[in-house]
Amino acid sequence: MNKIIRVWGLSKYYGKLQVLDNIIFDVSEGEFISIIGPSGCGKTTLLKILGGLINATKGETTIRDNPAGLALKRRDIGFVFQNPNLLPWRNTIKNVELPLEIINKKDSSLNNPKKLLKIVGLDKFEKAYPKELSGGMQQRVAIARALTFEPLILLMDEPFGALDEITRNKMNLELLRIWKEEKTTISTVIFVTHSIPEAVFLSDRVIVLSKRPAKIEKIVNIDLPRPRKTDMKHSKKYVGYIECIRKILKED
Amino acid sequence: MHQKNIKRRLKEIGIPILFFICFLIVWELSVIFLKFPEYILPQPTKILNEIITNLGKFLMHTGITMSEAIIGYLIANLLGFLVAVIFVHYRTIEKGFYPYAIALKTTPIIAMAPLLILWFGTGIASKIVASAIVCFFPILVNTIKGLRSVDDDSLDLFKSYSASKWQIFTKLSLPTALPYIFSALKISTGLAVVGAIVGEFVGANKGIGYIILVSTYHLQTVTMFAGIIMSALIGVLFFWIISLIEKKFVFWQGSKNGF
Repeated sequence: MNKIIRVWGLSKYYGKLQVLDNIIFDVSEGEFISIIGPSGCGKTTLLKILGGLINATKGETTIRDNPAGLALKRRDIGFVFQNPNLLPWRNTIKNVELPLEIINKKDSSLNNPKKLLKIVGLDKFEKAYPKELSGGMQQRVAIARALTFEPLILLMDEPFGALDEITRNKMNLELLRIWKEEKTTISTVIFVTHSIPEAVFLSDRVIVLSKRPAKIEKIVNIDLPRPRKTDMKHSKKYVGYIECIRKILKED
Repeated sequence: MHQKNIKRRLKEIGIPILFFICFLIVWELSVIFLKFPEYILPQPTKILNEIITNLGKFLMHTGITMSEAIIGYLIANLLGFLVAVIFVHYRTIEKGFYPYAIALKTTPIIAMAPLLILWFGTGIASKIVASAIVCFFPILVNTIKGLRSVDDDSLDLFKSYSASKWQIFTKLSLPTALPYIFSALKISTGLAVVGAIVGEFVGANKGIGYIILVSTYHLQTVTMFAGIIMSALIGVLFFWIISLIEKKFVFWQGSKNGF
């Protein structure tokens, strides 16, 4: 498989505080990768470096063999943050259209905002304002907005962290469906979370980080069949992966 | 549902009006029965009569004061907004000027008024300047605060689209600052009228401030009250118009104060 992301010897300091320590991994095209670690360990920092929003102190990140900053300019990367970050003065459809407005592009079949709203199941809420939507719905709008940008790689920073468990499980299934079944540009997803079950359920591989300064503790291959189904959560294999990652995090 | 809303609105407006009418009746009756001399406390009906019989005169003077206040208000808010934008983008300029801006703010406008008359004459220019000076600070402070209240997450979002500085300003910072800006716009409606009337007190031959001042000299308390009422009406009307505009532009939340 093609390596779409390569991270080599990445370290990050904020002043004297070291946040990331010699992070090395690569991601193949089409993979779903989760990054998990104790809170405050630098997961978000790592994601922002991958996305080219901030620079690493040491090491290299390339996306399709280009530096991350360039990939950002080439619009290879779409972000979904923990906070849906919808603009309160724009209604749903206007929020989804925001990226198109900024990059000054007409909509096509792939990034048509109405179609994307339908994909995330909010086509009836086009005219609603963010304050009229629930947390889960707002996050769906944020996902539709990220898809408008037509990125190859979706970087997600604890996107469902603020949601209740039932909504979160529903959003997990939605996300997998959008990634695999719907016709979008997304090939690869990097997903930051602090929920072990969520990471196992979604991913092909889980990158487990240590406490700050974060090193890669282990990369766990999740060998579960796709499409992932809810009843899989009772399987021995699934529970085994959760136990395994829990142990790695505890030993730390 | 709709009818209920109308009923509630009627209550909202009706109760204060009812109280006001009661207040006027008590006032009217106490003047009659307690026999206050007219130069101390005139009857409300006499004040109303004074306004109606001299409506042309009052409207003319009210119009002048209002024009001074509005022109000063517009100049100050436009200028204050621009200065705030410059301050937000160039920290050094802000650091250099801000202390003096505060010093100017703490100087009472009434202390500066004679100087303004000396510099800008007894016409409307000096009143416009007085109005502008008092309106300048709310918009300056609130615009700075509003533009700085953009959160980092939203900024990251725009950066992830490689948005230009101008796009970030127009599509993110400015709308974020709008509730703060409108808060200042509302506060300074009253201040603008104060500025204009203070200017008129110190040196003028037109305007509501002038009417009030002259009526004091001649102990025409009825005229004075009429003047006070007109000046209050200017302020209320001005505030109300800006509130309506605010509702249209900042529909997603109420105004925010940066002080």
